[in-house]
Amino acid sequence: MGIRSMQETTFLILTALAGGSRHGYGIVSDVEQISERRVRLRAGTLYAALERLSGEGSIEIEREEIVDNRLRRYYRLTPAGGERLAEEASRLHSNARAALSRLDPRGGMAPT
Amino acid sequence: MTGQDRLERRYRRLLAFYPRSFREGHEEEILAVLLAGAAEGRNRPHPAEVVDLLRRGVSMRLRERWLRQSAREARRARWLIPLRAAIGLWLVVLTGVLCFFGEWWAPVLLLFAAIHFFLSIRLLKSRPRPPSPG
Repeated sequence: MGIRSMQETTFLILTALAGGSRHGYGIVSDVEQISERRVRLRAGTLYAALERLSGEGSIEIEREEIVDNRLRRYYRLTPAGGERLAEEASRLHSNARAALSRLDPRGGMAPT
Repeated sequence: MTGQDRLERRYRRLLAFYPRSFREGHEEEILAVLLAGAAEGRNRPHPAEVVDLLRRGVSMRLRERWLRQSAREARRARWLIPLRAAIGLWLVVLTGVLCFFGEWWAPVLLLFAAIHFFLSIRLLKSRPRPPSPG
């Protein structure tokens, strides 16, 4: 992905899949949980992201199941997707650490 | 007809905005996600869901059309590669012949030959890039 940073929904979807393969609604609920109920993915948004991520080779279909007459397709992270997520996570981590260290109580601007 | 059936029919109507290629591969799957996410007893899609599906469906359709169109244009442009190269070559030969007969201005034609060669090489290298999806 290079210099451009990843969108939050993309980051959360990849994070959900880093915990193991999930089907569409499984991703929606996991993202909701990871983001502490702040992000609720809409189906259209989810599938636009899944299309793009499979096109890029970050995720792939693992298996399909029929549950209650409904199709469930399970997606999983590819090694390339795992690498992308790791890069983005460490970038975010180092930015957050820099921000928190500057907001340190010794600096007089303690976060509440 | 139950509320669930009615909801499903409404979702399907919205999914018709997606391109056929997407629906063939994902309609049942996305429908399962929509129905699983719908609140109990709901028989109409949530307005925000309607907007999301319309927006994504239309943008996917436009993107597909753009890809088809640029593939067609690329095919058409391929014809121009040998044509431009041939014109360039012909101009080089013409310049040589004119110089031979003492036409001092003839090398000006080499400039046009160079333009044709340049455009031909650029067409050879160019690959259309799709617009990024919403």
